[in-house]
This record gives sequence, structure tokens and C-alpha cells, in this order.
Amino acid sequence: MTSHLFRLELRLLARERAAWVLLGLFALALAYGISNGSRLAQRQSEVATAIAQDSEQFQTQLRNHLAQQSVDPKAIAGRGTAAVLPPAPLPLLAAGQSDLSPGHETVVLWKLAAPADTRSELENPSHLLAGRFDLAFVLVWLYPLFLLALVYDLMAGDREAGTLRLALAQGIAPWRWMARRALARALPMLTLAAFATLAAGFFGGSDGTGTRLALALAVVLAYGLFWVSLALAVNAVARSAASAATALGAAWVLLVLVAPTLLNVTVETLYPTPSRPELVAAGRKASGEAEKRGGELLNTFYRDHPELAPPGQQADFAAQHLTVQSEVGRAIEPVRQKFDAQLARQQTAVGRWRFLSPAIAAHEALTDLAGTGYWRHRAFREQVGGLRQAVSDFFTPRIHKRESITMADFDKLPRFEFREEPAGVWMGRVVTSLTGMLALAGALGAWAWRNLRPARLGLLST
Amino acid sequence: MISAIARKEFLDVWRDGRFRIAAAVVVVLLGVALLLAWQQVQRARAERAAAAALERENWLNQGEKNSHSAGHYGVYVFKPLAPLAVFDRGLEPFVGSTVFLEAHRQNQAAFLPAQDATAMRRFGELTAATGLQLLAPLLVVLLTFGALAGERERGTLRQVLSLGVRPRDLVLGKAIGLGVALAVLLVPVALFGAVALANLPEGDAGGSWLRFAWLGGAYALYLAAILAVCLAVSAVASTARTALATLLVCWAANAVLAPRLASDFAQRVLPTPKLAEFETAMHKAVQEGLDGHSPRQQQLQEFAQQTLKKHGKTRIEELPFNFNGLVMLESERLAGEVFDHHFAKLWDRLEAQDRIVTWTGLVAPLLGLRAASMALAGTDFTQHRHFSVAAEQHRRDFVRVLNEEMMNNTAGGHHGGVAGRSLWEKLPAFRYDPPPPAHALRAAAPGLMVLFLWAAGAWTALLLVAPRLKPN
Repeated sequence: MTSHLFRLELRLLARERAAWVLLGLFALALAYGISNGSRLAQRQSEVATAIAQDSEQFQTQLRNHLAQQSVDPKAIAGRGTAAVLPPAPLPLLAAGQSDLSPGHETVVLWKLAAPADTRSELENPSHLLAGRFDLAFVLVWLYPLFLLALVYDLMAGDREAGTLRLALAQGIAPWRWMARRALARALPMLTLAAFATLAAGFFGGSDGTGTRLALALAVVLAYGLFWVSLALAVNAVARSAASAATALGAAWVLLVLVAPTLLNVTVETLYPTPSRPELVAAGRKASGEAEKRGGELLNTFYRDHPELAPPGQQADFAAQHLTVQSEVGRAIEPVRQKFDAQLARQQTAVGRWRFLSPAIAAHEALTDLAGTGYWRHRAFREQVGGLRQAVSDFFTPRIHKRESITMADFDKLPRFEFREEPAGVWMGRVVTSLTGMLALAGALGAWAWRNLRPARLGLLST
Repeated sequence: MISAIARKEFLDVWRDGRFRIAAAVVVVLLGVALLLAWQQVQRARAERAAAAALERENWLNQGEKNSHSAGHYGVYVFKPLAPLAVFDRGLEPFVGSTVFLEAHRQNQAAFLPAQDATAMRRFGELTAATGLQLLAPLLVVLLTFGALAGERERGTLRQVLSLGVRPRDLVLGKAIGLGVALAVLLVPVALFGAVALANLPEGDAGGSWLRFAWLGGAYALYLAAILAVCLAVSAVASTARTALATLLVCWAANAVLAPRLASDFAQRVLPTPKLAEFETAMHKAVQEGLDGHSPRQQQLQEFAQQTLKKHGKTRIEELPFNFNGLVMLESERLAGEVFDHHFAKLWDRLEAQDRIVTWTGLVAPLLGLRAASMALAGTDFTQHRHFSVAAEQHRRDFVRVLNEEMMNNTAGGHHGGVAGRSLWEKLPAFRYDPPPPAHALRAAAPGLMVLFLWAAGAWTALLLVAPRLKPN
């Protein structure tokens, strides 16, 4: 009986021309989202490859040079060490922050304490404002709209037309009847969304991304399930198809358009973003003061580190610069830490409140899985911080002691190797999002079920 | 007749519970957005002013040093936020807030506020502008979808028309009634915005009030156009449900799809150059000249010959000033030409992309409105460019003063003596004067044009549809 109803509903759906149009448009949007994402991913990987090649070329030149003679560390230090964020594991899934947060940075010894330029690519700011038409956009914004267009009327229309009594006379619990109907009508959209997710992995995923892809699939289905449950809940009480549609449309506007912006503005009010200009100016103040005491600082430094004092005890310009720089670094470190901590607090608050709207949870989860989310970029920034330290640790003593770099040092030269976040960490975030969405869907489903109990049947059909 | 219809329609709407709830939500959101934005803008402005004051102190107290070293020490300048950012933040989160001015180089503005924000920022921002751009049209849809189609469905349209009411009067009356209902909601919000602006320190900078008035006009045109489109659809649709579905699809296409599609389209037609390509080309032009055939070294040698000839000397050491200073001046001038050329090319490209998006507004009016709104609020790209140019001008003045000092007041032949606070004080602090309203109006013109065409087209369409109103 029940599988029969399911098939019946599918057949009815197949005869609606509008349904086919909607499915076609959705497929088109998904395909366009994937192709757009792949354009961006390609551009980014071209940039990353060019930098990596450039850096490799320099390494080869340096090795050849070192094979013949040693090199002054100052000559190498000026060139800088490139840090590149490797291509995201599933870039086609979501562009995320990848067009905004820098994906590469060159760390130069002489500029360690200078405010780092945060720009790594040219982008039209209007394009950043509008956002990209990537797969995540189609899945988070449009997918619910397309789904709702098919499932907004599960029972309300029958109630309005008076055919509900007839339908319920089939001898099936109203809840079961409506759930079958909902699933049958949602199935084509869910399938398309699932296929697109797999296609994003197939066309643009790197190796070993099976778990990410499986989780992405789960997120997409859970998000879809949430909207279907919402349609069930609304239909359980709506008097007419039009009022069901209005309520669902309003829910979409509130959950997808309003809630995230409201959360953003609330978080920024509760945890105000610290002032970047003030951080810059504070750093400059520290560097101005340190520079004035440059000679004095260097003398203190050599007193504390006699092992680093150059043979003739005669400080040169480079040594003085490095001492000033490390003093500046020390002076602004607390300010910088406070700055970073505040930013992390903001994002943690967003993480905590993401269940305010499943759209937020889904978007966070998809960008996390794509490897273009906030946390992976943050990890990159932090590891570049580590590279700065490594660059300083390698060059500073050698420059003070005026030691040359030899072939023996070649392998010790600081290099950047990005360590991905431990799988447990991002998986934890994604699974929490997933559980949250399923719990919301479950709660709505339970509510619908309560309103559709046979005991309330009499109320239902009138 | 028309006024009676308008009155009836207004009362009808006002008594509709659903509309009252939706209207309350929208008005509350707009109010909250204005209040929080006012607070944020005020804080950001104070922070940037404090940073600028501190940086000025840093500059003045940098101690005694070689004037060219001071050129490398450089100055940071901070972009002041336009007062009307309270209403429309525009591109502000996505353009740099800080420019480093130093010898030899023109830097781009760095530190995008959005980079220091959470990923939620990418969902868009809740400002009074986005509320009016996205949510107010939804309110108009709710107001109007049933206005004519609903009456047709219920059969009351036939009755009204049988009374001898001219269809055009009916449609116009409804339009006026609904428009007034909308105005009753939004005018207080505008007044609230005006109060916020008046209470912002230096809120009247850059002709804010004139800009504010034009903003009011732009949004009125936008909503008027949407009202007319909605009524026209309601006049043609057979049932209220069809009208609602059609209008919601149009709304989603305009508000959700159009911005991203148009932006992507503009990028495809006129791609943004890659940063590395841009910098390599500029660097090459600095070394080899803009035409690629006048190497810097050669140009400077010729310049030395000319200078010697002009002063009737044969050796550089005989010149009455430090020739190195003059060379610095000349090479800054040459580099300046290259920077002007390359940055202008880049910025022209970005502006051309934006123009494509604005004119796509002929299909989706939001794009025209957004461009006009940002331009009038002083948060668009042309205004950012204006700031970048002003900062670069300041850099050139500042480097010129330092190089002239080296040329005139230091011994010839080397990079010269030590300067102190008296020289640092000669360099005025950077003061950015926002462009006058005329600049904003020029930038907003295409967007305003798009809105005007929409409003004119939509009302013409409505007036054409109205006489042919079918009772069923």
C-alpha cells in the first residue's frame, strides 16, 4: 500500500510540467555553480603553482651556487620564503573565504615586524560583496527554494479543496501519507543535489577526499530534509495551499536572508572587531621607539648573547635592524594576541549560534568540507606565523655571527609545509552541524506528527 | 473617485494582520540595522582617527635620521569612513582601510575589514540599504499581489467595474493607496536615518544631506517601479496565486540571483588581471620605461647630461646642489608616470566591470539601485579610487619634500646628512576631503538612469494594462 502511494505520487509529479521546468532550472544552476567554482579553483591553483615553481627554481639555483661557494645569509634572506596554502581538497563545493583570505604570503626576514599586507590577489570589491555563484550558493540559497516549490503543498491544498477526507479514507495514517508524499516529491531534487555534490568531488577533488565527500553528501541531504520537515510541519496546520506557501516563503527569507546577517551584526556588536588601524599604528610606535634605541638595544643584546656577537664586536646595519625588529615584535605581541583572540571569539560565537538557521550550519559545514572555510585559512595564517619564527631563528644568529651559508645548511633553510587541520577537528565541527540540522528536522517532523495523530483526524479534514 | 479608491485600499491594507506583521518585522529590522550601523560607523571612525593621530605622533617623533631613510620609514594613512556608511556600508568591508606611503612605491590599500570578520559576512550585511533593497520589495509584493487578481478571483472586480468605475481610475487609486501605505511605513524610517546622521560627529561631511536627499529619491524610484510592476502583474494574472508565484520568482531573480550572475558575467567579459601579472608589468615599466624602450638608467644618464648643460658645468660635483637628490626627484617623477598609467588601467577595468553590472540593472533593477546607493553614500569604488588617488598625491608630496631636502641641504655626492623634527613638521598631516556631492552624482548617474527607466517603463506598462482590465 505505502510503496504504491509513493509510486503514485511520483507519477503525478512526472505529469506536472512545472516540476520538470523546476528540475531543469535546478540542474542548470547546479552545473553553472560547479563550472564557476572550477574557474575560480583553476585561477587559484595557477597562482599557487607559479609561486611554487618560482620558489623551486630559486632552490635549485641556490643549491648549484652553494655547491661551488658559500653565500652571505643576507643575500638569501632578502628573497623571502614563500608560504602557499595548498589547493583546497574539494574546491568546487564552495568558494568560501578563498577569494578573500590570502592563500599565499612571502615571509621576508627584514619585514618580520612590519604589518603584513593582507592582500594576495586582485579582486573587484563589488564581486566580493555580491558573492560567487558557486555550488554552495546553489545548495544553501536556491536548493530550499526549488525544494519548497515542489513540496509546499502536501496537505493544505487537499484540505482547501475538500479532497482531504477522501485521501484519508485510503486507510493510511495521515502522517504516513504525508511523509510518503513529501519524500516522493522531494526525491528528484534531493537526487540532483546529491549528484551535483558527487560531481564536485569527481571533477575537482584531490585524492583521499572520500570522507569529506561522504560528509558533504550527508550535509546536503540533511539540509534538504530540514526544509522538507518544515514543509510537513507547515502543512499539518495550514488552512490553504496559499497560506502554506506564504509561511514557507517567509521562513526561507528569515532563515536564509535575515538570520545570518542578524547573527553577523549581533556578533560584531557583542565582540567588536578590534581596530586594524590601531594595531598598525601601535606597531609603528613600537618600531619608532625601538629604532631610536637601536644601538643601545644591540649592545644589550650582545651582552645577553655574547655567543652571537660578531668577530670584531662591530655591529652592522643588518644586525641592528634585526635587534630592533625583534624588540618591536616583542612589544606588539600582546596587542596582536589580543587582536587574534577577539577574532577567534567572534568566529566561535558564530559557531555556537549557527543552529539559529540551518542555512548557516550548512554553509559552515560545506565550506569546512571544501577546505575553503574560515578555520583552514586561520590555520594557514597561524602556520605562516610559525614560518616567521623559523625564518628569524635560522637567519638571525647567522647574520649576527656573520657566518656564511654553506651546503650543509641547505636542508636546514626554512621552508613552508602546510599541515592540514587534524581530521578530528574539522570532522567534529561538521558532525555537530549535521547533528544539529538533523535534530531540527527531527523536531519539526515530531511536531508535524503530533498534529497529525489519528486522534486529531477530525480536526484535520475540516 | 481615485481618492476614494485610494482611501479604501489604504484602510484595507492597514487592517490586514499579515501585512501588519510583515511590516513590523521589516521596520524593526531597518531600525535595528540603522542603530547598530550608527554605533559601528561611529566606532570605526573614532578608531581610524585615533590611529591617524598616533601615526602622526610616530612620524614627528621618529628622531633624527637621514631624510631618505625617513622616506623608507614612510607614513600610514587611514581611510575615513563616509558618514552615510550608516545607511549603506557598500564596498567598505571589501576595500582596504590603510595605505602605506613610502619612497619608490605606490602601494594598494591593505587590510580589508571583511578579512577580519567572520565568514557570516559573506551572507551579506544587514544595513538599512539592504533591508530596503531586498525586504521592502517583498513587502510590496505582499501588499499588491492580490490587489487586482484577488478581486477578480472573488468576483468583486466585475461588480466594481459594473458601477461605471473607469478601470484606469481603479488601478491608479489602488496604486496610490498602496503607495501611501508603504510611505507611512518607510518615511519614519527615513526620518530615523536622518536623526542618526545628524547625531554623527562630522555627519555633514561631503555634502551628506544632499546625498541623503538623492538617496531618498533613488529608493523612491525603485519602490515605485516595483509597485507598478506588481500591480501590472496582479492586473493581468488570472488568480492571486499565479500573481504571487510570478512576483516571488521575479523577486528571487532580482534579489538573489541577479547580483551574483551579473558580477560573474562582468568578470567573464572583462577579467581582472592577476596580481603577479599586474606587479610584474609595473615593475618592468619602471625599469624599462612605459614604452619598453627607454631603460631607466639611460633616461637618468640623459637627465644628468641635460642638467650639466643647463648649469654650464662638466662634472656633477660642480653642481651647486646635491645631484643625488635631484636624481631621486627625477626617478620618482618617472616612476609616478608608470604608477599613474598602470593603476589607472587597473581601476578603469574595475570601474568598467561595475558599469556592466549597473547596466545589467535594466533586467534587474536592484543592480541599478545598489550602484546608485553606494555611490551616493560614498561607499562605492569611485570613492575608494578618489581616496587612493589622494593618498598617492600625499605620498608624492611627502617624498618630494624629503628629496628636495636632500638636494638643497646636504653635501653633494652622497646620500647626505641627518634631518630632524623641523623637517618632519614641514610635511603636513594627511587630510582626506571626501569628494563633493557632484562626484557622487556623476558616479550614481548610470544607476539613477536605470532606476528612472524602470520607473518610467513600469508605470507606462501599468497605464497600458489598466484600461484593458478584464473582469474575469
